[in-house]
Amino acid sequence: MTLGDGVKAAALLFVAAVAQVSVFAEIHVFGAVPDVLLVSLVAFALLRGSVAGAVGGFFAGLIVDTASLGTLGLTSLVLTLAGYWIGRYGETTGRDRAHAPFLSVAVVTVLYQLGLLVVHFVLGESAPAGAVVRSLVPAIVLNLILTAPIYALVRRLLRPVQRDELTAEVQLLG
Amino acid sequence: MLASSVQRSKPTPYPSKARSALIRRAIVVALVLVALTLVTISFRSPTAGALHDVQGAGSTVLRPFQIAATRVAAPFRDAYDYVHSLANAKSENKKLRQINAKLREKDIHRAALAAKEQQLAKLLHFEQGRAFPNDFQAINVAVIAPPSGPFSHSLTVEAGSSSGIRLNSPVVSGEGLVGIVSNVTPHTAEVTLLTDPDSFVAARDVNTQVRGMVHTGPGGTLILDQVPKQLRVKARDVLVTAGTRNARYPDLYPYGIPIGRVSSVGATDTATFLQVQVQPYASLGSLDAVAVLVPKKPRR
Repeated sequence: MTLGDGVKAAALLFVAAVAQVSVFAEIHVFGAVPDVLLVSLVAFALLRGSVAGAVGGFFAGLIVDTASLGTLGLTSLVLTLAGYWIGRYGETTGRDRAHAPFLSVAVVTVLYQLGLLVVHFVLGESAPAGAVVRSLVPAIVLNLILTAPIYALVRRLLRPVQRDELTAEVQLLG
Repeated sequence: MLASSVQRSKPTPYPSKARSALIRRAIVVALVLVALTLVTISFRSPTAGALHDVQGAGSTVLRPFQIAATRVAAPFRDAYDYVHSLANAKSENKKLRQINAKLREKDIHRAALAAKEQQLAKLLHFEQGRAFPNDFQAINVAVIAPPSGPFSHSLTVEAGSSSGIRLNSPVVSGEGLVGIVSNVTPHTAEVTLLTDPDSFVAARDVNTQVRGMVHTGPGGTLILDQVPKQLRVKARDVLVTAGTRNARYPDLYPYGIPIGRVSSVGATDTATFLQVQVQPYASLGSLDAVAVLVPKKPRR
């Protein structure tokens, strides 16, 4: 990843994090909140790999926790793992698959919500499992609606990396 | 050839790929550890400490960006709220209508109870007042069938002979005389109202002591009849039951039960008696509860 890419990615995730905390967090549809930051992170991680995804997730999470004055590191922890996991998926199985962004967003939405629930529960904070589970389907739908435009925007902003630039642990034999 | 073993070449190592995987994992583990450390510190001292100060400073730096984002989003949010409120208006309207109907129902129920309570309070007041005849006891009963129309002059109460009600017992409400018991069954009784054409009640003008007979006159209005023209009766005079004058012929109604008020007095040259119209005190068409007056000593 070049310096220019890094700056662009940082700006993208910063804007997404600020928009998420300030604007999208107040939009409730059937108990769910559209997560523009998560979708942006998924798009970024798919295009730039696991390490970039993990680092992006960490710093985006820090911005969210700082802006919302929440427990510092909590969102970072979950977004780091989400960015890393999606990045790995992009580097391996999801490579060049048209459905990869949608599948990633759907799965990560569920894992992100459950991950936050678990972390809050472990910390002894309010963890309304029923409300989270009920809002899962609307959250997936909302994030899937956001996926196409955000992925297109991020793809336009960050040029896709050539195959040989990506880390590959899967060796194709034959 | 087939039996001979084939020497496999030693697998080529991928030092650069292995190293990058190691670095990648190290970075992620480091980030996770940093995040966990931050969570631990932040959780242990959420309102004080260096980390809290850093977070506060970061929040201050981010504040202008948040305000800018909010301002940029404001028109979109307003548009969304407008559309959302429009979409919800119909269902909200339906819900409010349902609530309104329920409240109206409750209001009517309360008003009905209040009206009933007012009647019962008046009845109790009458029974405890000085006008109540000493040699009678009151049996309070609910009206189960009010007069069914303009040509009906009777009502049914939900108590009968098993409760001590007897034939020809006077019936009163909190306002005044209602009528007389004309039919009794074990658990119900029929009350013939004051306005029935066959009803005659001996009455006395409390103001002038003039006596007469209250009954329904031509046209269905209540009149005080049998009052000679030379006697004086004024409008707004109060009429009460006259009671027994001759012990050998006891009256069905005890003395002093309010009947009504004189509404108009007229006289013609040809008529022998005054034409006195009476407005009954009791609201005979809207009674919920009445008291049946039963003599304490049985009549002979």
